[in-house]
Amino acid sequence: MNSKYKVLIVEDEKNICHLIGALLEADGYQAVPARDFANGKMLYFSHRPDLMILDLGLPDGDGMDLLREIRKDSLVPVIVLSARADESDKVAALDLGANDYVTKPFSSAELMARVRSALRTAARYSGTALSPDGTFTRDGLLIDYGARRVFINQSEIKLTHTEFDILSYLSRCSGKVVTYSAIIKEIWGYSDSGSVKKLQVNMANIRKKLGAKPGKKNYIENELGIGYRM
Amino acid sequence: MKKFPKHLADAAFTMFLLAACFALCLLIQTVCGAHTLIPAIFILGTFLTALATNGYLYGILSALASVLIFEFVFELPYFSLYFTLTDNLVTSVIMIVIACMTCTLTTKIKKQETLKSQSEMEKMRADLLRAVSHDLRTPLTTIYGASSAMLEAGDGLSAAQKQQMLQSIREDAAWLTRMVENLLSITRLDDSNVKIIKTSTVLDEFLDAALIKFHKRYPEQEVSVELPDEFITIEMDALLIEQVVINILENAVCHAKGMSILSLKVSVLSEKAVFEISDNGCGIEKERLKTLFTGYYQTENLPPDSRRSNAGIGLSVCAAIIRAHGGTITARNSESGGALFCFTLNTEETADEQ
Repeated sequence: MNSKYKVLIVEDEKNICHLIGALLEADGYQAVPARDFANGKMLYFSHRPDLMILDLGLPDGDGMDLLREIRKDSLVPVIVLSARADESDKVAALDLGANDYVTKPFSSAELMARVRSALRTAARYSGTALSPDGTFTRDGLLIDYGARRVFINQSEIKLTHTEFDILSYLSRCSGKVVTYSAIIKEIWGYSDSGSVKKLQVNMANIRKKLGAKPGKKNYIENELGIGYRM
Repeated sequence: MKKFPKHLADAAFTMFLLAACFALCLLIQTVCGAHTLIPAIFILGTFLTALATNGYLYGILSALASVLIFEFVFELPYFSLYFTLTDNLVTSVIMIVIACMTCTLTTKIKKQETLKSQSEMEKMRADLLRAVSHDLRTPLTTIYGASSAMLEAGDGLSAAQKQQMLQSIREDAAWLTRMVENLLSITRLDDSNVKIIKTSTVLDEFLDAALIKFHKRYPEQEVSVELPDEFITIEMDALLIEQVVINILENAVCHAKGMSILSLKVSVLSEKAVFEISDNGCGIEKERLKTLFTGYYQTENLPPDSRRSNAGIGLSVCAAIIRAHGGTITARNSESGGALFCFTLNTEETADEQ
């Protein structure tokens, strides 16, 4: 069922490149490996992949520049591979339009879950998976965009205007890590020194109302210092 | 820039001591007329100057000034510098020699002290590195050995054996990952020129991220969480504090034998967030408690049990991280017998008021 999905891997480490290729092929995807910037760019334009896995540190160029060039061309989902401490790199890549990031070393299950999730998001963006009645559902949570109402297991959750806007924005980007600055720009249109705090307070209220428990599977995941993922 | 006020303070201190000695001697001479005490008082003054100031300069200046004052004011004939009298000359020379030697000695001691603390730090780092490098060999041996065995003798191995080998490769790779994370944390802290970058972090977001990471490694282990209802933010390097929480939880999983409950409780006490991680396992041996947070450097004599060492380095890293955040960390056994780790961090209200 996955055979129609073409995944471009741009990663200079031979072993990692092979590993990811093997994992993808085992799940039925078609893997297209590229080992440097130039090849990655060429293969992107010749193969038109459905998803791209991109390592930021490439021998002949910055992965970030490749991401920028590709975003000029299309909204193909991009998952960035990065090392642990480069939080600012992750935020920069996400703000440039990357969908998600995976920190090295990663487990195969983790990477494949991200791949599936990114492809789902892409399908929704192209309109095929969006519910015709304008709702979002997941594990008992129901968001009715038109009526601006939220339910968990049929009982209504009362959210403020801003809280609803944040939740509906996150749900529309579900599967994608949304950075603090992206949410702030979407909700308030401007940002000042207190914006992140304002967002954090709203998020704390949303979590409480949705009954989130730390460490459990919740509707919204926290990416510390980066943003949120729904 | 910073040297100037320091020199000023030293000079002022020297002047003050000289004046004090002078006044004391004057008092002694007018009250009891005995001037045998006077050289001793000046030597004491010089000694104190050398002790409290930096370098040789002020000690020697103080000695010279003492000799001059002594000759001019207190030595016969009064109010003249009369060095030709043999015993006056000898007294002066002896005083300068004593002053210089005192000064040299105290300066030397000061230098040695700084050297000693530097070399202790260096030694600690070297010991740590040696111990870690030693520990790295065990998992590497497993990974290298098991993977080569599967490549070279793959056909001769049973499915169960292969499964077993793959299992140990994964376990040891996971162990190496954790070790490398700890080492990365240490190098981030050791670079004393770079202050850790603290950002305002929401407590429940932080705990959620830390616990999810912990559950990824130990899916079986439940952690009961208790935290205050209000919105709390803490200035911290979230990656490092996350490491602290995970290391302590992991320590419980690896060492608290018989544990059935692992809990994490956060409370706020006078602008401090108090994190308490407790278990109902076997507790910590008394002699281990003393060196728990520094103990890693002394584990070389223990049998080569990599997991034990990892816990050791984990707790040492915890202590270093918490100290760098200006907090405190303690460990003890609770009344019920299990281990109780406690660390504190400043909540943001205090930082805001500054």
